[in-house]
Amino acid sequence: MSSRALRITMIALAAIGLCIAVYLTYVHYAGIKPACTAGESCTKVQTSIYSKLAGVPVALMGLIGYVAILGSLLAPEGERSRFATLALTLAGFGFSAYLTYRELYSIHAICEWCVSSAIILTILVCLATWRFLRGEHVSSTGLSGTLVSE
Amino acid sequence: MSQVEGQDDLTRKQRREQARAQRKALEEAQAAKSAQRKRLIQLGGAIGVVVVIIAIILLATGGGGSKPAVAPKSPAANQATTEVTSLLQGIPQSADTLGKASAPVTLQYFGDLECPVCREFTLGALPTLINKYVRAGKLKIEYRSLETATREPETFRTQQIAALAAGKQNLMWHYVELFYHEQGEESSGYVTESYLQGLASQVPGLNLSSWSSARNDPAFATQVTTDAQAANQAGFNGTPSFLIGKTGGSTQKLEYSSLTDPSSFEAAIEKQLKA
Repeated sequence: MSSRALRITMIALAAIGLCIAVYLTYVHYAGIKPACTAGESCTKVQTSIYSKLAGVPVALMGLIGYVAILGSLLAPEGERSRFATLALTLAGFGFSAYLTYRELYSIHAICEWCVSSAIILTILVCLATWRFLRGEHVSSTGLSGTLVSE
Repeated sequence: MSQVEGQDDLTRKQRREQARAQRKALEEAQAAKSAQRKRLIQLGGAIGVVVVIIAIILLATGGGGSKPAVAPKSPAANQATTEVTSLLQGIPQSADTLGKASAPVTLQYFGDLECPVCREFTLGALPTLINKYVRAGKLKIEYRSLETATREPETFRTQQIAALAAGKQNLMWHYVELFYHEQGEESSGYVTESYLQGLASQVPGLNLSSWSSARNDPAFATQVTTDAQAANQAGFNGTPSFLIGKTGGSTQKLEYSSLTDPSSFEAAIEKQLKA
């Protein structure tokens, strides 16, 4: 996969994640029930004590996180920006894993919005790791993507 | 310069270029290897930092069995007893029901005594509902069991029967409230015989020997099964879940927007009162 195609794929995934986070943040502050096919599960998760961390709604944290990931992906490509994307997606993935643990073992309810975000972050962290470790990618047809050496 | 000498010079030049190219390739390979090593170290460092942060969050939010159940006769247990006694003071109880039998609206509360989210409701929105509607004789609440947080079915049955046995002396709600107030970290094995006995000893006015013998009543085991069937029929697979309706009439699912803010419960109760 070319660097450009990889970056576009990651931007698209981060944009979907951002939309989910924006919706959940809106639901949180508007005090409405999230659309959910699994009955009361989403409401249970969204209104549980684990829906906030140090007083900050986790949905808002997700929103900020996705904006930061998008920012790192839209920055000129280089070693630093690739590492920033990796660090941010790793943090998002870790936090998402913690929230999934809370859903399964503390709240006993699964919110499909949170699961979607967890899947997106899992794919993003895999792609970001691959992208970071392969460095400036040279395809068989020559340099691909926008390469800005630092 | 002879032709032979010229060919010799060319070969020497080619060799030099070859050597230079080899050196360059080697340097590039070494640089790539060193860059890759640096990236792996950075990746390891980033993973380490994330793991530490998540571990801190987990510990700070009560993961890993860090929340022990309240010990009987401790100051926290005494405080829980005072709070529960004051909340339920003067409200009639009958078996699993809290409130006057003649109350026009009935709320069925499906819970698991080890469920932390049920605790959130019991300590959050429920006291307002008890004080505003149950005390006024407008609402009665029936406690139903549904196994979710308790991993062991045998433990679930034992703790639920312990609560139902207190209901034989019309003190089940004291037992249930105290259980939620003093709840420990789920799946940490805190629900032992001494824990159940300790709770019973905190229920004001509970005759302990009658309570102990009532725990062997097979009717309570049947009730646990009946509750599970009722929950299944309603399509519940999580706790807390609620059914509401006119007393003696049909019930419907109560959809809440918060477990700590009673407003969505109040709206559902008011709707039933006006119906």
